[in-house]
Amino acid sequence: MQDYREFIDEILVDEKTIGNRVAELGAQISHDYAGQELLVVCLLRGGLTFSADLTRHLTIPHTLDCMSLSSYGIGHYASSGNVRVNLDLMTNIEGLNVLLVEDIVDSGRTLAHVLQMLRTREPRSLHACVLLDKKYRREVPVEVTYVGFDIPDKYVFGYGIDIDEYYRHLSFIASADLKKYKK
Amino acid sequence: MQDYQDILSEILIDEQTLQTRIRELGEEINRDYQGKDLLLICILRGGIVFMVDLMRHITVPHQIDFMAVSSYGAGVRQTGGSVRLSLDLKTDIRNKDVLLVEDIVDSGNTIAYVLEFLHTRQPRSLKVCTLLDKEERREASVPINYRGFNIPNKFVFGYGLDLDEYYRNLPFIAVVDLSKYHPPA
Repeated sequence: MQDYREFIDEILVDEKTIGNRVAELGAQISHDYAGQELLVVCLLRGGLTFSADLTRHLTIPHTLDCMSLSSYGIGHYASSGNVRVNLDLMTNIEGLNVLLVEDIVDSGRTLAHVLQMLRTREPRSLHACVLLDKKYRREVPVEVTYVGFDIPDKYVFGYGIDIDEYYRHLSFIASADLKKYKK
Repeated sequence: MQDYQDILSEILIDEQTLQTRIRELGEEINRDYQGKDLLLICILRGGIVFMVDLMRHITVPHQIDFMAVSSYGAGVRQTGGSVRLSLDLKTDIRNKDVLLVEDIVDSGNTIAYVLEFLHTRQPRSLKVCTLLDKEERREASVPINYRGFNIPNKFVFGYGLDLDEYYRNLPFIAVVDLSKYHPPA
């Protein structure tokens, strides 16, 4: 594995800024769902770090569940935009307040599709919370209720987000200079 | 949901002690896997919080993957029984250095089976890292290579461990007072 310092372009969001923003989001969500219960749905694998840290800041009663998705076809959620569920929720979400937690939204195809699928199960409410929003890449409209940071259209890694499965453990979010990155 | 303070018997391991120990475990793992490439496997869902924090201290190259398991049939798994894989690994572990990361080892039945199952795929090495070890309850033999804490045979929650799915987000490990706890309907 290449040292990330060899191909880093810049640190987009540093550890402290992430920590503060995640705490703010936690407080806002706790406020919005005051007096209610929440099911936090973590989308594996990128959403893991964010979900774990976000839930530490929730003061309302909540439970946690996970989904694992992949795409039909080749490439990163390419082709039809249909997603395959590798691991479905253990929880029946009918009548529950559900918050989908994702690391990053770009084209919005995956997120839009998952929201659509989950809506068929008739949750009481369904909202999305993403740490990073790459708005410029949006191809389909998708309503994201909670956004950590708007980021430019760069190739990012760290804080749960990988490059070829590595670098998820980094405490900050950085952009990669792909010319310098060796697979 | 009851406030955790209403059902708390004692705080077994506080936040600072947890985080210090997790850092130590990370450093130990870094030394042991120097020059290697590691795959961390998290068994959902209890192990999530521990794995996220442990990973932050691991500086050797590593990837993560997940497994979800459940038991066949109703009730508690019996010694030697099989476990149903609801989510298998994405990664082929042949010739990989694999470290299974668990929140707690109790009877050890599930993890013993998972280890046996993973061995059939011929990883280069396969080790176990658990945050909590309730050794008193052990029924199956499980080799534990990295252990956060030995704990007594008490009903614990917090830091990824749930009580009826709640309280996973507490930053400490606590013991529940079952005489005060009312499970949700």
